[in-house]
Amino acid sequence: MAEALVGRSDAPQGERSRAVRRVTWIALAALILVPWIESDKFVLHILSLIAIASIVAMGLQLLLGGSGQLSIGQAAFYGIGAYASALLTTKLGVTFPLALIGAGVAAALASLLMVPITRLTGPYLAVATLGFSILVYLVIKNEEWLTGGSYGFIGIPRADLFGHVLRDAMHSYYLCVGVAALVYAVFARIEGTRFGRAVNAVRQDADAAAASGLRVTLIKSQCFVIAAFVAGLAGSLYAHEVRYLAPNDFTFWKSIEILIMVVIGGVGSLPGAILGAAIVVGLPEILREIGDYRMLVFGAILMATMLFGEGGLAALFAAIGRRIGALWTRSVPSAAGNSSR
Amino acid sequence: MSVATSGGSGVDRSDPAFRSAHAGDVLLQAKSVTRLFGGVRAVDGVDLAVRRGSVHGLIGPNGAGKTTLLNLIAGVFPLSAGALHFGARDITRHSTADRARGGIRRTFQNLRLFLEMTALENVAIGVHAETRCGFFDAVLRTPRQRREESGIRERAMQALMFVGLAGLAHARASTLAYGHRRLLEIARAIVAAPQLLLLDEPAAGLNATEAVHVTELISRLRGRGTTIILVEHHMDVVMSACDEITVLNYGRKLANGTPAAIQDDPAVIEAYLGRAVEHDHARA
Amino acid sequence: MVIGFSQLIDLLIGGLAIGCVYSLVALGFAMIMRATSIIHFAQGEVMMLGSMCGLTSLWLLPALPLPLVLAVGMVSSGLIAVAMELAVYRTLRRRRVPIMNVITATVGMSILCINAARIIWGSEPLRFPELFATDAYAFAGVRISPQLFWIMVMGLALMGALQLFLKHTRTGIAMQAVAQDPETAQLIGANLTRMMAYTFAISGMMAGAAGVMLGSMFFAFFEMGFITGVKGFIAATLGGLGSIAGAMLGGILFGLIETFSAVFLSSAYKDGIGMILLIAILLVLPSGLVGLWQKRS
Repeated sequence: MAEALVGRSDAPQGERSRAVRRVTWIALAALILVPWIESDKFVLHILSLIAIASIVAMGLQLLLGGSGQLSIGQAAFYGIGAYASALLTTKLGVTFPLALIGAGVAAALASLLMVPITRLTGPYLAVATLGFSILVYLVIKNEEWLTGGSYGFIGIPRADLFGHVLRDAMHSYYLCVGVAALVYAVFARIEGTRFGRAVNAVRQDADAAAASGLRVTLIKSQCFVIAAFVAGLAGSLYAHEVRYLAPNDFTFWKSIEILIMVVIGGVGSLPGAILGAAIVVGLPEILREIGDYRMLVFGAILMATMLFGEGGLAALFAAIGRRIGALWTRSVPSAAGNSSR
Repeated sequence: MSVATSGGSGVDRSDPAFRSAHAGDVLLQAKSVTRLFGGVRAVDGVDLAVRRGSVHGLIGPNGAGKTTLLNLIAGVFPLSAGALHFGARDITRHSTADRARGGIRRTFQNLRLFLEMTALENVAIGVHAETRCGFFDAVLRTPRQRREESGIRERAMQALMFVGLAGLAHARASTLAYGHRRLLEIARAIVAAPQLLLLDEPAAGLNATEAVHVTELISRLRGRGTTIILVEHHMDVVMSACDEITVLNYGRKLANGTPAAIQDDPAVIEAYLGRAVEHDHARA
Repeated sequence: MVIGFSQLIDLLIGGLAIGCVYSLVALGFAMIMRATSIIHFAQGEVMMLGSMCGLTSLWLLPALPLPLVLAVGMVSSGLIAVAMELAVYRTLRRRRVPIMNVITATVGMSILCINAARIIWGSEPLRFPELFATDAYAFAGVRISPQLFWIMVMGLALMGALQLFLKHTRTGIAMQAVAQDPETAQLIGANLTRMMAYTFAISGMMAGAAGVMLGSMFFAFFEMGFITGVKGFIAATLGGLGSIAGAMLGGILFGLIETFSAVFLSSAYKDGIGMILLIAILLVLPSGLVGLWQKRS
């Protein structure tokens, strides 16, 4: 599952997926235990933001690592989801779970506007998504009657589940991590299916895919809608976590941040999207000590990590994991002989 | 001409009964097909009639327009002039994917496999259009999806067995040797049992043994009733596998006929075959 | 809305002036994309740093004439761009990292530059002193702002000089060769490293000029490269990425459309008009305006 969307592994399938599944369960257990170990509200809040960011990043991973479409406009759907959820809960009194779904649906509907754009490729597609992102930002900024414009959207209620309001930082942490885990599971399921193969084929060679009868534009559009829906969900979670929205949260720059998450984590790696989100959201917090210089350092670190090449951090961790695994099997004598390179 | 005329199922294409059953039944008709690139007439007013169930060769010197014509039939780019008919349908304006779904499949001259996928997955793409399960089925793993998926893998395995690659089904395409990659391309193209198969230099870069294997594959496919258009430089493959050959030169049709007729045609000899004719005559 | 002839000329010159600014940034994008296939996200910051350096030179030497301010801006931007290339991008290319990584590195560079500028020059917008005559030129009964007029002239002159350089000098032709086919160009003796450095230097210089012009039209501040860089990139795409002439045309078109739509449509959505137009053009001509010329042949 480490390369869940893409299946780029070289190692024998069986033992890899077992190892990966083990790691995934361990990670999940760790995530569940975190609030019991670290109860600082601010830390939990940051972790919630990381979970939220990872949801958008995973959506972009489907687009970029899956179908090969470079979108630098995901912030638009993130924003649409956030404001939709805020409006649904404040103006229409909708309960949170429905608002969450509604946010996803709103973003997905908006992405239908982009369907004609999926014909474009490479930088042209990127620029078109960029344009869309800026347009949405402008609408958010200018239509004060709807969004509060630059004054912001205030008074967003906390998330509530089945009537129980999530006042505790721990509870909203579980909500965000839960949704993120669900999104991860959904995307991981795609591998080894007709849909997953089609998406990968479109990325690797769209013309050969068409020659085999695949409707390339349809598949690309489906990926767009799915990624948008997921970004909308994340937007809703964000709105009810932070409870205040401003247009500056959803500029083109946010779209770039989401892209950075995917690239740092490793294009094509689903866990990579989560790692990337952790870095992009978490690192500036860790660097807060440095004060004014923190974004400067962040930029430098970003450039440095680009030297790692193919696969980003996920590949790095996978390589480390393989080394550890090799050391482990070597230290455990086995009748079948030692593992060798 | 009697080399490799009997297909795997024992059909003898020189049998008059066979010929009359199929004669006149044109599967693919190209009328005055032209394609311009800037000022260059890559294909210039070519007429082509490919009979159902036959193996139709397209040969000519480099730059003659063979691959361009094949690409036009496959729908890679639009015609500058002329028309294409597939069976009863006018497919002139159809997209590549629509033609593929309609029963025209192809291989590529410079191999366009999905290198990050296994051989089996590559072939599975070939049946994508005949199956249905989408995103939600994939996520929920409905019984329908599971049934369909095992059906897909079954058919893909059969295609791999047909070309002789069954043992490498789970190998990544990027790890396959060149000769196996060629076979994989063919497997991907035939898994959906297309009516018309376009083979673009399937024997390019293959050694003699591998080329014979390809020729044998072509004959087995023909035995199954697949119509084939074959662009190829390997003269052994062309002369032994084809029922009919069209020769192109400078984008225009130079000659059309049986392999024997083509080999004797002075215009063709002059443009293209040269000494190879004497060589083949000595063997036949 | 009815406007007078004089107003029309005003808008036209204004649109052309800002269009020239966009063109200068856009052609930098186009040159770099042609030579390296990357989207240079830090191009806007190169422009911004040129503006800042030009302004700083005016602080130090208030009597500095306009051409020298422009020169300072151009030289500093050129040097900064070359430094970026030699220190970071070339290393990445040599390591053969995937293109997405190089593009992301340019984003990192952009973040670095923006924050460095904020630390050095602060976050307040900075006004340029008056560089142009304030009295409008009167010409055929029409009043033209000297600032806009001269910016337009300088922009067009720079672009013209660049075209001459690329087509008629050995270095320029060598640069074009390297952009089209690096391997063959090397075989005939072109020094790849030097040509890449020249590419970045020239695109940097153009951006620096744009920065000084833009700064004098409005003001300089640490984030000014961001939105202008985006517009330059859009203009380059409009013209067909990789085409320098297309980028120039795209920039001017973008400037004109932006200026006119700010007046005739909503000024709040002035940036948006360009986006809509861009998307519309791409849907019809997927490779930009260059596609229009190709369709005719």
